[in-house]
Amino acid sequence: MTAVGPQAAVQVDIPPPIRPRERGTPLEWALMHLAFVAIAAFFLAPFVWLFAAAFDAEATAYIRVPGRLTLDNFTYIFRELAFAKALANSAIVAGATTLLVVLTVTVAGYGLSRLELRRKGWITFAVLLLQTMPLSATMVPIYGLARLLGLRNSYLGLILIHAAIELPFLVWLMKGFFDSVPRQLEEAAWLDGRSKLRALFEIVLPVARPGIAVAAGLSFISAWAEVLMVIILVDKQDMKTVPLAFYETFRTAGGYVEVQYGLVAAMGVLYLLPVMAVFFATRRLMVRGLVSGTKGL
Amino acid sequence: MIPGGGGAAAPARPVPRDALRRQAPYLFGLAPAAILLAAFFVGPALWAAYASLTNTALVGIDAARPRFVGLANYERLLGDPDFANVIRNSVVFVVGSAVIGQFVLGLSLALLIDHAERRGYRLATLAYAAVLLAWVNPTVIAGFLWVAMFDFYNGSLNTGLALAGAGPVDWLGQFPMLSVVIANTWRGAAFTMLIFLGALKTIPSDIYEAARVDGANAWRRFWDHTLPSLRPIGALALLSITMSTFGTFILIQTLTNGGPGTQTEVIALYAFHEAFRSYAIGYGSAIAVVMLLINFAFAIVYLRWSRARA
Amino acid sequence: MTRTIDRRTFLKAAAATGIVVACGDQGAPAGGGGTAKGTISGTVTVSYADEAGLKPKYVQLAADGLRAKYSGVDVKIDHQKIGSGDFYTKLLLALNAGDVPDVIHVGGDKIGELADAGHIEPLDGYLKQWEDWSKVYPDAVKSGVTYQGKVWAIPYGLDTRFLFYRKDVLDKAGVGATWTGPKNVDDILEVAKAVKSKVAGVIPYALYAGPAGDSGTANHAFIPLLWAYGGDLQKDGKWIGDSPALRKVLDYYGRTYRQDLSPKEILTTAKPWTAMREKLGLKGELALLFEGAWNYGGWVTKDKAATERNVGYALFPTATGGPSFTIGGPGTAWYVTAKSKNKDAAWEFVKAFNTKEIVAKLNIEDPHPVARTDSAEVAEFKADKYLVDSTESLKKARFAPPDANFGKVIGVIQKATARVATGEMSADDAAKRYTDELRQAVGADKVITQ
Repeated sequence: MTAVGPQAAVQVDIPPPIRPRERGTPLEWALMHLAFVAIAAFFLAPFVWLFAAAFDAEATAYIRVPGRLTLDNFTYIFRELAFAKALANSAIVAGATTLLVVLTVTVAGYGLSRLELRRKGWITFAVLLLQTMPLSATMVPIYGLARLLGLRNSYLGLILIHAAIELPFLVWLMKGFFDSVPRQLEEAAWLDGRSKLRALFEIVLPVARPGIAVAAGLSFISAWAEVLMVIILVDKQDMKTVPLAFYETFRTAGGYVEVQYGLVAAMGVLYLLPVMAVFFATRRLMVRGLVSGTKGL
Repeated sequence: MIPGGGGAAAPARPVPRDALRRQAPYLFGLAPAAILLAAFFVGPALWAAYASLTNTALVGIDAARPRFVGLANYERLLGDPDFANVIRNSVVFVVGSAVIGQFVLGLSLALLIDHAERRGYRLATLAYAAVLLAWVNPTVIAGFLWVAMFDFYNGSLNTGLALAGAGPVDWLGQFPMLSVVIANTWRGAAFTMLIFLGALKTIPSDIYEAARVDGANAWRRFWDHTLPSLRPIGALALLSITMSTFGTFILIQTLTNGGPGTQTEVIALYAFHEAFRSYAIGYGSAIAVVMLLINFAFAIVYLRWSRARA
Repeated sequence: MTRTIDRRTFLKAAAATGIVVACGDQGAPAGGGGTAKGTISGTVTVSYADEAGLKPKYVQLAADGLRAKYSGVDVKIDHQKIGSGDFYTKLLLALNAGDVPDVIHVGGDKIGELADAGHIEPLDGYLKQWEDWSKVYPDAVKSGVTYQGKVWAIPYGLDTRFLFYRKDVLDKAGVGATWTGPKNVDDILEVAKAVKSKVAGVIPYALYAGPAGDSGTANHAFIPLLWAYGGDLQKDGKWIGDSPALRKVLDYYGRTYRQDLSPKEILTTAKPWTAMREKLGLKGELALLFEGAWNYGGWVTKDKAATERNVGYALFPTATGGPSFTIGGPGTAWYVTAKSKNKDAAWEFVKAFNTKEIVAKLNIEDPHPVARTDSAEVAEFKADKYLVDSTESLKKARFAPPDANFGKVIGVIQKATARVATGEMSADDAAKRYTDELRQAVGADKVITQ
């Protein structure tokens, strides 16, 4: 989910224009509600399998009405497959990554925004282009580097690399947010005698809060979902995160004659809920961030 | 507003010594990100660029004694009939799922939901949440979900068709490209929807008032006013989803793994297969470098276009 | 630096659990030479993947046996619960980066490419001092792990394959429950057609094609067919590209898939063999499948009676005659890595695993013909009809060449079969492309056509 994202400029928040509420025709009401139902159906349909199979005693890879409802899948993954540890690891890594990313991209975005450099545009552009480097080319050198630095099978390694993945786009995003904060604000603060750092914290950051929220939200979602880097970095059982647990269950549980989809689905449900919760909790800020992010145009 | 252009005005004069001291805090701010990026992006990218000029492999004699082969990998790539197919698939996939799929669908969703907000239709929230859920869920799950949908014998789609009395469709076998396009559209529509929703909110409503007073009907208002206002942000969104879709491969790998045959083998997947199925690191790196160059070309085109408009 | 950390943490753990670890010198003389018992000490890291879940207890047994024999040795078992394909990729990444386990466990077909890469250690020096090697390992087994005149790995459960069929399904299709095998290669398709027309909801035949089938596309489909039609992979050390036999094989693929006798899912599903063997052995939803003989064990574990009643097995037919041969392989084997810092102890582990008892017991649970003749004499082994049949089948087995480029050739085979299976190309065009790609993969000077 390394989406390269929207653009730079943002204005300081203006309240949205008040729009008059008009009544629509009954036909319009009907058509639009039909559309909403269709849309919701299309986007929610695939999840039906997930929730059905998680509680199904004889789940298959395909959708079926559960013959026998059970919680066994859930108890099994906790008891036998150390899923609690995997969830905890995912939470630790995603949480710490988000923190690291927010700190890093805020100062980097601010720095890049305020830096006076002739070819700054090119640097920004190059940073963005970095994100498009496909993983297959970097797996081998990253493995070597991680090993050299002792980062394999460690939280530090996972956090650093999960953070690095999101940096290009988010630095660019934050630069955009800071670009839209007029320098006059800080300059006024400097004139008032405040140091640059204080000015940053007290004046600039609050204005850029929506941008920070976007950065935090996106980096959590991305870190939570990351799988390829985990495969490269981790082979110890107690360091695995949920995506790796998925792989193992999918590939090996029950011997090689049968894959137990109920377990996979149960894992999926528990894996999905936290990221949904985080997104739900921060959505207002996040959407506001993305919205303000596009206002400047 | 173009990306890459400095935001706040950046003076172009040469920087005197104390100006450097002034800049120092900004450079310090950049430092942590720069270190991480250098270590995990720039370094590996340079390694890959070098590797693409060798025949290094993970196993076999080329692993023990890799040779510098210059542009041989690139020559082989350009001469490979499979590669032409891969490029074609990538174009189809990007046009289908990013341009037509995510972009058009995202725009439509944004328009719909924005309109619904004005009318006070609350069901829009359900649709909105559903679209977001598809975007936010982790990639490995998305893959599973769509395998369950597309499976020929018991998949959700064919089960639904059977209930409706229609016969089963071999989605992944007979319509692989369509299937992965649908899945990827499902996955990414939220992004463009969010962007356009934001953009729509910034269009001042007086434009509409003026147009209505002028007697323009809804369609004209849309075509003449809404769309043009959305064009700049739309172009930006298009660039970003193009670049990101170009690099997508986990979803395709889970659904068809490039198959049947090579019908859905897009370039990102091709690079992955060459590197980790055939263990040909040198060749895989060459493909990755080509991908980087293509993305670079996209971005240049976009910049030219957006600068021309500005 | 990493090494010191390991040792420190390890010592802490050792103190806690009471394992005695000698802080002895971990250097070992350059590979191949056996040394006096007194210097076997240190840590041995054993790295393996195991999808069936049957090996861990035997690996543990071997580790315990080794510790009992040499008190100065400790064994670190790195059991990775991922598929063998993914395991191999990770292993290669690790070996290339310098993360070297002492003992590894991968397919015997990888000997050529691993040896060429300099990742594994030739074992001849050690073998001279191991009397079992000369006493109970037949020459055929030895040649399966010999490459460029040296022995590189110790096999224990050999691979053989059978054409499995569902007796109950064939009965319903009118072929008869007493069918013992096809009359010739085309007869397989005839039987498949009968199943398709008379038995609903059952896949007639699973013919692996394309990259999704992994090495199965080559070993369980393409190569037996090539041999059935009188062709071969190599002649006089050169790979054979286009040949009349090749065209017949590709045409066979075309016919099979055009008539919908083999499911298209094989081309897109990840690990299609998992579903296919489940369908044949457990669910009765697949009628014909040429697959590894070891699958029978999984079915028996689930339901012995049903398996014995419903699943039959035969050798593979030729173009003109009935079941007469199969394809064998060295199976997964134990290697000592070239950069290991404790090769002597690593070799001791390999020996500790490859005892008559462990080899016999493991292969009874996970049915493979055994590499050691004395294991085959174990009572339980001899009492199991299936095991006896599997071992017998090896006498009629042909083997793929132990060539370092075999992996690359498998890739070419996968592409060619996928093209005809999807109908993208005709058999003749695909054969021509096969030659081109073969030349690209192994070098034009190593390819001949017939």
